[in-house]
Amino acid sequence: MGLTCYVVLGPERFTAAVSGSLDLVGNTLPRVAAAQFVAAFVWAMLPRDRISQLADADHGLRGLAIATAAGIITPGGPTSAFSLLAIAAGAGADRGILITYITSWSLLAVQRIIVWDLPFMGAEFSAIRFLVCLPLPILAGMIARRLPLSLVLIGTPTQPGAGK
Amino acid sequence: MTNPGVLLIYALVIVLGVVALSRGHGSFRHGLIRGAEQLIKLLPRMLCALVAAGFLATLIPTEVISSFLGAEAGFMAIVIGTLTGMFIPAGPAISFSIAAVLANEGASVPALVSFITSWSVFALHRVFIFEIPLLGISFTRLRMLSGLILPLLAGALTLAAMSTLSML
Repeated sequence: MGLTCYVVLGPERFTAAVSGSLDLVGNTLPRVAAAQFVAAFVWAMLPRDRISQLADADHGLRGLAIATAAGIITPGGPTSAFSLLAIAAGAGADRGILITYITSWSLLAVQRIIVWDLPFMGAEFSAIRFLVCLPLPILAGMIARRLPLSLVLIGTPTQPGAGK
Repeated sequence: MTNPGVLLIYALVIVLGVVALSRGHGSFRHGLIRGAEQLIKLLPRMLCALVAAGFLATLIPTEVISSFLGAEAGFMAIVIGTLTGMFIPAGPAISFSIAAVLANEGASVPALVSFITSWSVFALHRVFIFEIPLLGISFTRLRMLSGLILPLLAGALTLAAMSTLSML
C-alpha cells in the first residue's frame, strides 16, 4: 500500500500520509494504552461463575432482556464471552437467548466500548452507537426464534426446527 | 484534548488499580502484566492498520470517501458502511483504526455506526476462532441471518436521530 502510494502520488504526499497517520497514532495511543490497562484489571478480577446462570432465563421477552443485560456486563474478550455462550448452550438455553446474548456482547459490552469505541471514536459517538444499538440484540433474538433453521450445537442434542 | 471520555478512561485505570491493590491475591500484579502484554501485542497492529488506512485514504481522494460515506450520501453511506464492515476479518485494533481514519476523511456518523455494527455482528475472525469450534456452523448461520439487518437498522436509526436533533 505504501509503495503504491509512493509511486502513484510521489514523495511529498507519501510523507504527508505517513505523518498524518503518525499524528493519529500519537493522539490515540495514550488513550488506547490506558484502555488496555482497564481491560487487564477487569480481567484480573473477573467473577467468572456469575454469568453462566443465563440458561435459567425464561423464554419470553424478559429472557431476551436479561440476555441483553448479561451481554452488556460480560467483561473480557471473545474467549470469555464465547465460553459462557457455550456453557449456556450446553445447559439448554433457547436459541433466542443465545443469539441475543452474543449479539449484545459484540455490540454493547461496556468493557468493549470503554476499551475501543471511547479512545478511537470519542464519547459522543460511543453514546450514540450504544443507544442506537440497545434494542438490536432483542430484535435479533426474536428473529432467531422465528427462523425455520435447524440448530445442531456441538456436544448437545439437536434442537427442534423453528423456535420454541 | 481533555474530553469526558478520555478523562473517564484515565480515572478508571486509577480506580481499578486501587481496587485490585486492595484486593490482594496478586490481582494488581496480574492486571499490570496482562495490560502490558496486551499493549505490546496491540501496538504493531494499530500502527500498521492506521498507517495502511492512512495510505488508502490518501490514494482514494477525500471527495470520493465523503461522497460515498459522507453525510450527503445519506442512506447509501449506510449501505456502503455495512458492506465494508462485513469484510474486515480482523480484531478491534484494525477495524477501529480504519473507522478513525474514515472519520478523519469525512465519513458521516451514521455510516460509521453501520460500519462498526456490521463488523461487530459479522467479525469473521471471531467466527472461525471461537464460534464454529465452540458452537458449530449451524449456530453461525442462524446468528448471521438473525443479525443481517442490524447494521442497516443501526445506521438508519442514527440518521433519523441526528436529523430529529438538528431540527430541534
